Amino acid sequence: MTTRIADSLALLRAMLLIRAFESALMRHSGHGFQLLSSGQEAVAVGLCAALTKHDQLLSSGRSIAPALARGLEPGMVMAELLGKSPGPCGGRGGRGHLAWPSQGFFGAHAVVGGNLTIAAGVALAMQLRGQPGMVACMFGDGACGSGALHETLNIAALWQLPLLLVCDNNGYSVSTPQAQALAPQPLATLASPFGIPAATVDGMDVLAVRDAAIELAEHARAGKGPAFLECLSVRFATHSTATRETRPAEEVAAGKVRCPIGQHAMRLEGEGCLDRQTRVQLEHEADAAAASALRFADSAPYPDPRELLLNVV
Amino acid sequence: MIYQLAVPGPIEDVEELRVLEWHGDVGKIFAAGEMIVELETHKAVVEVRAARPGVLRLILCATGDWERLDRPLALFGDDAAEPLPASAETQAKFLVEFEVT
Amino acid sequence: MSSDPPGPTVKMFFREAIARALREEMERDERVIILGQDVGHYGGSYKEFSGLYERFGAARVRDTPVAEAAMIGVAVGAAAAGMRPLVSITYMDFLMLGLDPLVNYAAKARYKTGGQLRAPVVVKTTAGARGQGVAHSQCIEAWMMGVPGLKVVAPSTPADAYGLLKSALREEGPVLFVDHKRLFPLAGEVAVDEHCVPFGQALIRRRGDHVTIATHSGMCRVADAAAELLAASGISCEIVDLRSLAPLDVTTIAASAARTGALLTLEEGQVTCGVGAEVQSRVREGLAILRTARVGAAAAPVSSSPVLEAACLPDAGRVAAAVRRLLS
Repeated sequence: MTTRIADSLALLRAMLLIRAFESALMRHSGHGFQLLSSGQEAVAVGLCAALTKHDQLLSSGRSIAPALARGLEPGMVMAELLGKSPGPCGGRGGRGHLAWPSQGFFGAHAVVGGNLTIAAGVALAMQLRGQPGMVACMFGDGACGSGALHETLNIAALWQLPLLLVCDNNGYSVSTPQAQALAPQPLATLASPFGIPAATVDGMDVLAVRDAAIELAEHARAGKGPAFLECLSVRFATHSTATRETRPAEEVAAGKVRCPIGQHAMRLEGEGCLDRQTRVQLEHEADAAAASALRFADSAPYPDPRELLLNVV
Repeated sequence: MIYQLAVPGPIEDVEELRVLEWHGDVGKIFAAGEMIVELETHKAVVEVRAARPGVLRLILCATGDWERLDRPLALFGDDAAEPLPASAETQAKFLVEFEVT
Repeated sequence: MSSDPPGPTVKMFFREAIARALREEMERDERVIILGQDVGHYGGSYKEFSGLYERFGAARVRDTPVAEAAMIGVAVGAAAAGMRPLVSITYMDFLMLGLDPLVNYAAKARYKTGGQLRAPVVVKTTAGARGQGVAHSQCIEAWMMGVPGLKVVAPSTPADAYGLLKSALREEGPVLFVDHKRLFPLAGEVAVDEHCVPFGQALIRRRGDHVTIATHSGMCRVADAAAELLAASGISCEIVDLRSLAPLDVTTIAASAARTGALLTLEEGQVTCGVGAEVQSRVREGLAILRTARVGAAAAPVSSSPVLEAACLPDAGRVAAAVRRLLS
């Protein structure tokens, strides 16, 4: 098997894992307040294919795909989501603040746009210490009206920070469509006034995301300053488990037809790199990994209430 | 006549000054307009210049020392020989121009 | 004042104490950097960063655009990634623009990551009214005292500015360092030897028997002046300078209040949910019977019109009157 095919299959595996993981999570009655990435897997997976062990990834509160795509162990991620003690944040972070910096996932942050300036700071530290690598920060279209984005673009451009800003644009800020919230079109034009190179790609095509991410990440890594990548995606579920669906059924259905997993698998089948049997096997492996993660997390203990004040100060 | 050299107040916000540099030793004759001493406030430098000629007779506040506004920093005289008084405070003020930079 | 540091001392301006602390810490630890508006060649609005740019260079002493959310956020992110930044917010009024990264990220970084991350950042900001108007005058340190994970200190002398800033720069988490416009004209004795002033220790600035005045920052001078006024009437005041608001040294304040039987808290900020409200609550938890009073700014924004500003802020006369009412 060539490297190219192996890489392509790895991308498929990664997306299948995320999908299976979220399905398993949703079947669990105690799943809690979640923001799912289903439909948007290609963005996180394509981006992470461009990251090295020297890089750091930050995300918004839609953290499941970024964390799993970055390679975090699924059982640990599930434990953290369910607020269990073995999670990397001791159960204290949950989905909104999931983090494992030693594994290259600097962390999620649940305030919309709240991680942008932080990511710039992490990039500044890397630059000052002469470390190889760059920082990628994922955020949604919902963060694009914020002052924090403007301030981050400005300071990153001024100081030539090694920062890749990745807008996972699923077209909605909860119930508000992009056109009603944001004047710039496409959102990548937000980067132009600052002289920051930008691209808009099909976020349902994992190879398109990966290829654009590789190019822009390299720009940042080479010390040429920040870059901006907009990925147009469709989320399959509602904004969150606490939010009602606001889109017409036909729109959601049309989005699902463009499923990133289905598209990528079809491409591989068309190239003769994937047969039906292997595909089914890969799906079973993903399901098994998800089930195993859930079993681990389910049986894991909650934090001890007597440790409530641990790590506050 | 013997005079006292002091930085006249009030200067907004300033209570104390620190002597930065004397621009001459005892015995030096300062011409009108010549810089005598620079002092530092919390936010600026005060330049004190002679408004009329005089001889520096005694330094009361050395470089690095602190003093308040309107307090004698040194004694000046019309000549180098006149005996110095016991107290500096009773002397007339030496005419100076000062600039806060 | 009776509380000069022991050992050989040198007199310096308040701003010099700050610059000295930073220079020593920046020499000692290359991770310490400064971000802020006008901190570089300008040396800071009060010249409190004077000389640091020349000594340490533009990479470590950085001018930023006017963007408090990014200034604090970048400092916080850099801290979480291993640096030890100090970010200067020239006016405490503008701290509000950067509260999200400070409160939602920095103060919670260690907790929310289960200890994986720490955010050792010092946010230095200047509070207080001096003729600059409603949005350039506020003292809002009381808002910050109760944030879990955030420490708050407020020096009133050059010695404490020096010692508390050194301690702040060595802390493992975020610190809000609050100085005050009216403190910069001060000069005071600072120990020649390098030293840190620990957090959580109040200092008795003046000994007295009839009333405890617990205060901090710019109001320490007002307390002093009030004490002088009252001494002429035979009322002796004990002045406790809080220095550290979070953690708060309740023990020292309570011991003083137990002795004097009367506690007056004095702040330039608002009394509603103010520093004094917290001090009194905590002291009362240990001392059931105690006469108390709070003095703070009037419940109005502080405009730049000098007569109104003066009418808003506590002064020695008002404090003395409050003490008399408390003791009557």
